[in-house]
Amino acid sequence: MANKNNEEKEIKDNKAIKEKNPSTKNIILSIKNASYRYSDAEENDYALRDVSFDFESGKMYAIRGRSGTGKTTLLSLISGLERCTEGEIIFDGKSLKDMNLDKYRNSDIGIVFQSYNLLPFMTASENIILSMDANGLKIKNKKARAIELMAKVGLKETYANRKVLRLSGGEQQRVAIARSLSYNPKMIIADEPTGNLDKQTETEILDIFKKLAHEENKCVIIVTHSANVCNNVDVIYDLKKVKEESNN
Amino acid sequence: MFILKNAWISIKRNKGRNILIGIIILIIACACTITLAIKNTAVDLIDSYKSAYDKEVTISFDRANMMKDFDPSQSEGRENAREKFDNIASYTISDVESFADSKYIESYYYTYGVGLNGNNIEKAEIESDNDMPTGFGHGKGNNLSSTDFTLTGYSSLDAMSEFINGTYTMSEITDNAWDIAFLGNYVFINEELASYNDLGLNDKIMLEDEDGNTYEFEIIGIFKENEEESTNTMSMFSASANTIITNANAVTAITTSNEDLKATINPTFIIDSYDNVEKLQDEFYEKGLDENFILQTNEELALSGVSSIENINSFATTFLSLTLIIGGIVLFVINMINIRERKYEIGVLRTIGISKFKLTMQFVSELIIVSVVALILGAGIGAVSSKGVSNSLLENEINSSNEKAQEIDKNFGGAMNGGMPDRGNRGEMRGKGMPVVEAYDSIDAVVDIKVLLELLGIGLSLVLVSSIASMVSIERFSPLTILKERS
Repeated sequence: MANKNNEEKEIKDNKAIKEKNPSTKNIILSIKNASYRYSDAEENDYALRDVSFDFESGKMYAIRGRSGTGKTTLLSLISGLERCTEGEIIFDGKSLKDMNLDKYRNSDIGIVFQSYNLLPFMTASENIILSMDANGLKIKNKKARAIELMAKVGLKETYANRKVLRLSGGEQQRVAIARSLSYNPKMIIADEPTGNLDKQTETEILDIFKKLAHEENKCVIIVTHSANVCNNVDVIYDLKKVKEESNN
Repeated sequence: MFILKNAWISIKRNKGRNILIGIIILIIACACTITLAIKNTAVDLIDSYKSAYDKEVTISFDRANMMKDFDPSQSEGRENAREKFDNIASYTISDVESFADSKYIESYYYTYGVGLNGNNIEKAEIESDNDMPTGFGHGKGNNLSSTDFTLTGYSSLDAMSEFINGTYTMSEITDNAWDIAFLGNYVFINEELASYNDLGLNDKIMLEDEDGNTYEFEIIGIFKENEEESTNTMSMFSASANTIITNANAVTAITTSNEDLKATINPTFIIDSYDNVEKLQDEFYEKGLDENFILQTNEELALSGVSSIENINSFATTFLSLTLIIGGIVLFVINMINIRERKYEIGVLRTIGISKFKLTMQFVSELIIVSVVALILGAGIGAVSSKGVSNSLLENEINSSNEKAQEIDKNFGGAMNGGMPDRGNRGEMRGKGMPVVEAYDSIDAVVDIKVLLELLGIGLSLVLVSSIASMVSIERFSPLTILKERS
């Protein structure tokens, strides 16, 4: 069944863009021949090599690959936590090389992690407000906005004042998604967002992402190796190991 | 605003750690306040003590130069030395006045000595004559061996160094002695001479020169030479037994009336700065001072009185340095631990787009808020404690300054006459004069604005230095790595 689903999807590998030359109409993020090598690595020892992918607004993407294929590296490049050593990443027409990456992270993209990465000493609403503060968002009632965002991801108002450690994994992940939405970014990047969740919760979280992509025209990129996640996205990008690619 | 808001949230959240940091900074602040207060007080005391001493310059023989060719084993050497000594050009009162006319000199005074014989009094007998000619050097002994008495005239009270330094003490004095001492033929005589000749206050004595000219003086005071100060140990009389003290005008009158009399003059110049002594010496040579004379200062004496305070000052400096070094290390280590414990928080904050600068400022702000509170408390506690601590440390200095002031008063006969003579209105060429040693009941180690500013500077420097750990860590941490480690 999974295979059948995959066949219906657009499945692309590292070189897909070069080969198919798709339309650039709704492209929000474009990775062009991006390579990354750690500063202490040898000359040809790349963690990620010559990757070219395009991402459109209103679509949900999965980036999959086995361990060591550079999924995390690609995520850190897309999210502006690292810079490409070769090639470039274009966001909304601008190269990340020319952008303030802190500003990029707190305005243009929202990041969701497998382990939620909320601050445990804060309440759910405080975590969301912190993100608004980081963005410099100037709205009168930030807490009301936080509660509104929590409702959007299926969390009751009563959770707002709870310390996040008193919430379940699924609830924490919803808070993390709400946090990533606090400044209305154009793109959501999620790293194994359902990795710690049960099937039911995974489906609920994926539904939230789908809505964000299809109803709010956001680009949602999920790094995963979960088949269920891949079944729910619009486009899957396969990452191959640098060595495998060289052999091919 | 975001930085301060987050800093305040973190302070409230990490109460235990911040209280610990606060206590350490409070202890450092307290120690620094006390030390700085003591240090500043000590520096003020040293300055005050130094300024209490006039910067004095006297003329003395350049003995090293005089003796360099002298070989005591050869009679020829002795002859050469004697010849050299005899050929040294002396200086007169007019020379001294010429020397004193210098931009480096603020004022001057002098003693003027002449040898006279007794007419109606007898010289106190001396068993073994150890008197040596003193030449022109500055010294208390002015006995001229060929005459019975040395009449020493002082130009002002300031010149009466023997009374200031305690060599002589007035044992009897007339009520109006200090009103007339510098106005005419009035003398102070040694109590041994008085006893030997059965003399008392208001008695008249007659002295005569070698040509038979007589001079009459009235005794207005009797002094004694302190035993421990006496250098004439081979005699039953003290060295000053035949020294008769008068004023310089009286001696000048005698030497003017008989120009053949050999007189000695020992001037003391009050200068503006010890730094100008060499220039002044060159100026004196240009004005005719023999090059076998050199200028000597009282700088060493002025400094000797403050050695105990300087010890306390250097102890305070060492203590302050150690406190800062140890405190700095402890704060640095606590900050390191703090950063390690909050690595995850840093990762999350960096990931959601908070810049390294803002994050660093947040950590520094947390430390500054805690430090400022601790510094204020520490300064308050230090201010209350510093006076007691400093008074305890400087107790000896307080006692010795009190004793010194009382001693000088006593030497001038103040105990009998209701206080020291007012030196400020006496003496014809008076400058600031001799040291005025202040009596301290207590030493106020004041925590003033200077101390507070120094404390603030030290505190903030310490905070910034100990924050280096957080700055470097935030710079080096990769947020993704931190979050992966956590996962």
